[in-house]
This record gives sequence, structure tokens and C-alpha cells, in this order.
Amino acid sequence: MPMIEVSHLTKRYRDRVAVDDLSFNVEEGEILGFLGPNGAGKTTTMRVLTGFLPASSGLVKVAGYDVFEHPLEVKRHIGYLPETPPLYPEMTVHGYLRFVATLRGVPRAQLPSELERVAAATGTTAVMGRVIQNLSKGFRQRVGIAQALLGSPKVLILDEPTEGLDPIQRAEVRRLIKGLGGKHTVILSTHILPEVTMTCEKVLILHQGRLVAFDTLTSLVKTEGSVESLEETFLRLTRAA
Amino acid sequence: MRNALAIARKELSIYFTTPWAYVVFTAMLAISSFFFVALLQDFRQAHALAKAYGWERLGPDYAAFKNLTDGVVVNLWNTVAVITLFVAPFLTMRLFAEERRNRTLELLLTLPVRPREIVLGKFLGGVGISSAALGVTIIYPITLALFGASESGRTLEWSTVLLGYAGLLLWGACCIAIGMFISALTESQMLAAILTFAVALVWWLLQGVVAGAEEPWRSIGGHLAFSTELAPLLRGVLDVKSLVFFASVILFSLLLTDRAVEAQRWT
Repeated sequence: MPMIEVSHLTKRYRDRVAVDDLSFNVEEGEILGFLGPNGAGKTTTMRVLTGFLPASSGLVKVAGYDVFEHPLEVKRHIGYLPETPPLYPEMTVHGYLRFVATLRGVPRAQLPSELERVAAATGTTAVMGRVIQNLSKGFRQRVGIAQALLGSPKVLILDEPTEGLDPIQRAEVRRLIKGLGGKHTVILSTHILPEVTMTCEKVLILHQGRLVAFDTLTSLVKTEGSVESLEETFLRLTRAA
Repeated sequence: MRNALAIARKELSIYFTTPWAYVVFTAMLAISSFFFVALLQDFRQAHALAKAYGWERLGPDYAAFKNLTDGVVVNLWNTVAVITLFVAPFLTMRLFAEERRNRTLELLLTLPVRPREIVLGKFLGGVGISSAALGVTIIYPITLALFGASESGRTLEWSTVLLGYAGLLLWGACCIAIGMFISALTESQMLAAILTFAVALVWWLLQGVVAGAEEPWRSIGGHLAFSTELAPLLRGVLDVKSLVFFASVILFSLLLTDRAVEAQRWT
């Protein structure tokens, strides 16, 4: 059974179609690169997967549960980092992570060790006592990632997790995400194509709400006989058609 | 329930780490102490007059000033109720509007938490802060009990004082529930505060608003006004009708908030 199952998903905002008849599966432990130009429907798809937005039609299942029928079960299995990290500027990092962990259902006795674990994984141990609004953009982003890791959810949905990070931090986050594969199923949306080549085994490209490519990285760049770079493939597939 | 309490705790911690709570406490204390002192002066004046002419000749307007409970505390509670009306919108405006602006509503709605737990948690947090703001006013009856004197029996009738105080807390909770619902409708805190204030004020003054209306409306409006429903409680009369009225307004507001949070996902 695939961990994430999307079939014929369509999402309309009034008369605008954001996602059009999208179908794909993600197997357990896979890291899927989610690509597409701005406005292609990546964020909308992620919001439907996490149960934040209802689909207009189609079926979405996460860990075997239908998002519409069993939203709580689905949410229990997903760690989600939205485009803008959802932080409370007035809280300390520790207070914030504790709050999210409690709502994720981490038992009280395990809270300290769980906070320690995600802080170590994201390199935020040193800023645990600081107020979020005083943190640099890179640290805020990392606190956002830490939040998604709380409670070790089976599925991680990360919307541009390396946005706003410097090259060193990018490399760290990349390594972190790569390490998550196998244990977690990850959907990673990004604009940075080398990032995908380095971390993902499978790639999905959306263009104007439609799926234009969904394959393993190696076979995707090999299509039509010649080997091209991911960038060339991306540009060819998303050229205004 | 654990989720709701975690959210309530988060709300309280944000109130107390920002200047909000302290500004509201200071305003509450400053304004109410001004009225407290004024009421004490009225009380002394009434007693001076009574000494010179006797209570009988002063007329019914002065009857309340015979004792500290009715003369000072009940009047003070009425004033505090009006201050609450002004202060509550500032406490509730951020409850949902800020979550939307910060994009943290997306976090709350993608965590394994039911919308009604979010609503309940935020309401409890709001009630916590409104009760704390009202809590500072308990120093007035305590001051009276310590330094006041009465010719017959105890200085204060504590049952009247405390029932009035419980009425105030209920009124505070009611303002919070209404304000929270309005905050769930908009992203702008300013708009939420102004709308909450407008709704609460008109509802408070409803009796006066419908005074010139045709008969069925005049009675209905008179009965539904916050001021008429709160008056008996503040006077120390345990009126079940008033309790049911406020409980209904609170419950209805919570249900509407729950719907509003759900509905915004569908737009």
C-alpha cells in the first residue's frame, strides 16, 4: 500500500482551476521532489494533502486514511512545513516547540527528550531559549523544520524548506532531509533543481495545475534517448504550452 | 481536553509576554480606582447629610448609601462592567485575526486537533485573561472590609459582593466569546476590535435603543439587553434567567466561532 495516494485530485478556487486531475502515489520511505514554476499548484496540492484545504473532487489518502473522511488520523501522520514557517513571534523556541509537540500528542514525559532530538537534528539547540522574533531568517526556517519533525510523523511535507538559508545551512538541511528517507516519506517542494538531484529519487513536475512528469530522476533525464540535465528537462516540460 | 488546555496556556503566555496584559490591568485599575474614590466621597457626603437631616428626609435616592455594600460596591461593580465592555475588544481582537496574519492558523488546522478544541482553548485563554483583569478589582471590597466600619453588624455583605463579582466574571466571559467570534471573521485586528466594541455596546444599551419602538419590540429589546440581564446579578440577586441568558450567548458564540473557523477553509 502506498503511503500517499492521490487520484484525480482537482482543486478549484471559484472559477480558477489550481490543480487539475492530478494522480500520483508515493511509496513508504521515498523522497519525492515536487517541482513546478510559481503558481503551478504545488502549495495547493500540499494544502490538500495536509487537510488544510478540501479538494473540489478526487481522492487523497495518507497512510491509508482518506483525508476527507478521517482528517485527524491523517494529520497525526503528517509533519508539515508551510511556505512561510508558522511561528509565534512572541514565544521562545522552546515554548513554541513544546506547544506544537503537545498538540501532536507527544506524551508529557517524553517532551524534553523529543525537543532535544529535533533541536539537535535541525541545529537549533543553541537558540532554544530565545524569542522567535529576534531570530535570523535562517534560524526561523530551521525552527519551522524542527516543528515538522516533532513526534516523528511518517510523512513529511516540506514546502520550500531551504528558502532563506545560506549555502552552508542549505547543505545541512539537504543532508538532514536525505537522512529522513527510508524512515519517513517526504514530499519536498523547491525551486532549486540541484537540490532535487542531490536528495530525491523521484520527481514530479507540475505545470499549470497538471502533471507533466512523474518518474525516477534517472529515467526522467534520460527520456527521448539523450541524457539531459534536470534543468533542461524542467524547462522543456514547463515551456508555455 | 489536553489540546484545548495547551492552546489556552499558549494564549495566556502570549498575553503575559507582550505588554497587552499589563496595559489592560493598568487601565482597569486606574479607571476603576478613580470611580472607587468618587463613590467613597459620595458615600461620605450622603452620611454627612443624613446626620444633619436624617435618612427619612433625604428621599429614596439616598437609600442605597445606607451601607457600604449597596452604596459603594454594587455601584462600583456596575462601573467595572462598563469598563470591561471597553477593555474586552482589546483582549479578543488578536485571538484569531493574529493567527491568520501570522499564517499560524495553517499550523493549527494541520495539527491533529479538532477546530472545536482550538475554539475552546482560545476561549479559556481569553476568559483567563479577562478574569485576571477583573481580579485586580477585588482589592476594593477587601480595602473596605479592612478599613471600613459599620454601625450595625459586618462592614460588607460578602454574599452580595461575591455574587456580583461572579456576575462580572460571567459578563467578562460573554464579552470574550463575542469578541472571539468577530476575531475569527477577519484578518485585521483593528477591525475585530472596533466591530466587537460596536456590537457589545449596542447590545448593552439595547433597552435605550428600542425605547421608542413599537410594543412587542420594546419588551423584547428590553429583556435581551446586557444591562438589564446583568443588573440583578450585580445587585446580588441570583437570577437563573440571567445565568441562562449569558450561558446561551456564550455557547452560541462558541458554536458560531467553530463554524467560522471551519468555513474559512472552504472559501
